[in-house]
Amino acid sequence: MAAKDSPLKQFEIDPISNIELGGYNISFTNSSFAMLITVLVITLFLTLTVNTRSIIPSRMQLISELMYNFIAQLLSDTVGDNGKRYFPFVFSLFMFVLIGNMVGMIPYQFTFTSHIIVTFALAAVVFIGVTILGFINHGIKFFTFFYIPGVPFYMHPLLIPIEVISYLSRPISLSVRLFANMLAGHTLLKVFAGFVVSMPFFTGVFPLAFIVALTGLEILIAFLQAYVFAILTCLYINDAYHLH
Amino acid sequence: MPQLNPEFFVSQLFWLAVFFTFLFVFLWRVSLPRIATVLEKRQNKIDENLSSAKELQEQAMEIEKKINDQINKAKVETDEKIKETINALQEDVSSQLSSLDKDLEKKISDAEKEILKNKDDQMKNINNEIANITKLTVGKITDIELSDNEINKVIEIHKGSFN
Repeated sequence: MAAKDSPLKQFEIDPISNIELGGYNISFTNSSFAMLITVLVITLFLTLTVNTRSIIPSRMQLISELMYNFIAQLLSDTVGDNGKRYFPFVFSLFMFVLIGNMVGMIPYQFTFTSHIIVTFALAAVVFIGVTILGFINHGIKFFTFFYIPGVPFYMHPLLIPIEVISYLSRPISLSVRLFANMLAGHTLLKVFAGFVVSMPFFTGVFPLAFIVALTGLEILIAFLQAYVFAILTCLYINDAYHLH
Repeated sequence: MPQLNPEFFVSQLFWLAVFFTFLFVFLWRVSLPRIATVLEKRQNKIDENLSSAKELQEQAMEIEKKINDQINKAKVETDEKIKETINALQEDVSSQLSSLDKDLEKKISDAEKEILKNKDDQMKNINNEIANITKLTVGKITDIELSDNEINKVIEIHKGSFN
């Protein structure tokens, strides 16, 4: 399946150093390296650009502030005042996914957001956290979340299971959305890159031009998916506060 | 598909947990408070500037009011002064005019009197001259010596026709 020039070869994980802990393989891989780069880029950028703490910001400081305000605005729009407590988490999530996607756009760099296990872990953290939050806020009444008011009583046997299923599928939809977007985009880029080499004479220019355009689109998607991940997290947090 | 190969699942989850936890804690404790401080500082500065601007504006409005009051006061004062001056001048002019009128009237009446006097004198002279001329002319032409009384009688008769 993973032949030498398969478009899926880019998603293969190569261990950089083999580490084992309690019988589990926790090797530091190219995926872990991409995460490391991502975390370093975020922390260094957000720390160094705001280092001077100047009232009149430099351009770089302005970028940090814009990101801060972007997520702060998103959170206050969707959740309201309750949302301030979750700002660090949502901001970390957004930045991690965004910069992870962007690092993946660097040629030959690994994209860890194209791995379902990573996105599912992130989505599961959100899902479990939101569910716990719902029970903390509403106790046993949180189950009324599945009960839609204003619907004829005979519809409830049908609607309540649907609601439960849709609630339980949240982490799956959240993680698969990001994973599938990244997977499809990078696979498509690789497929067209293969065309550039295999097409005769100068006709390889056309897939090359397509790759250039597609790269722009992929960068847009990288941002968009991070945004979607963040805004859905905000909406789920909002649901944990406000039942129907 | 390499994504479904469970060989590295544990490794992925382990390093994800390590890096994401580090990122979360670092942003939560270090980066975000810094940015928040800067934004807060800026907001404070803006608020400060706004409030001082408001204060200054109020002061400016007060000063403007004072200036306007003074201008109005000055206007009223000048208006009064102008009126006073105009009244004084008018009085002065009218008094001078009336004194001039009196002077003129006096002068005119004086002149009229003199003219009348002169006229009478002249009339007398004319009568005498007429009498003399008549006497001379008649004497030359007719050798008749006319007395002054006779001549005067004739002149009195014809006075109405040549006067």
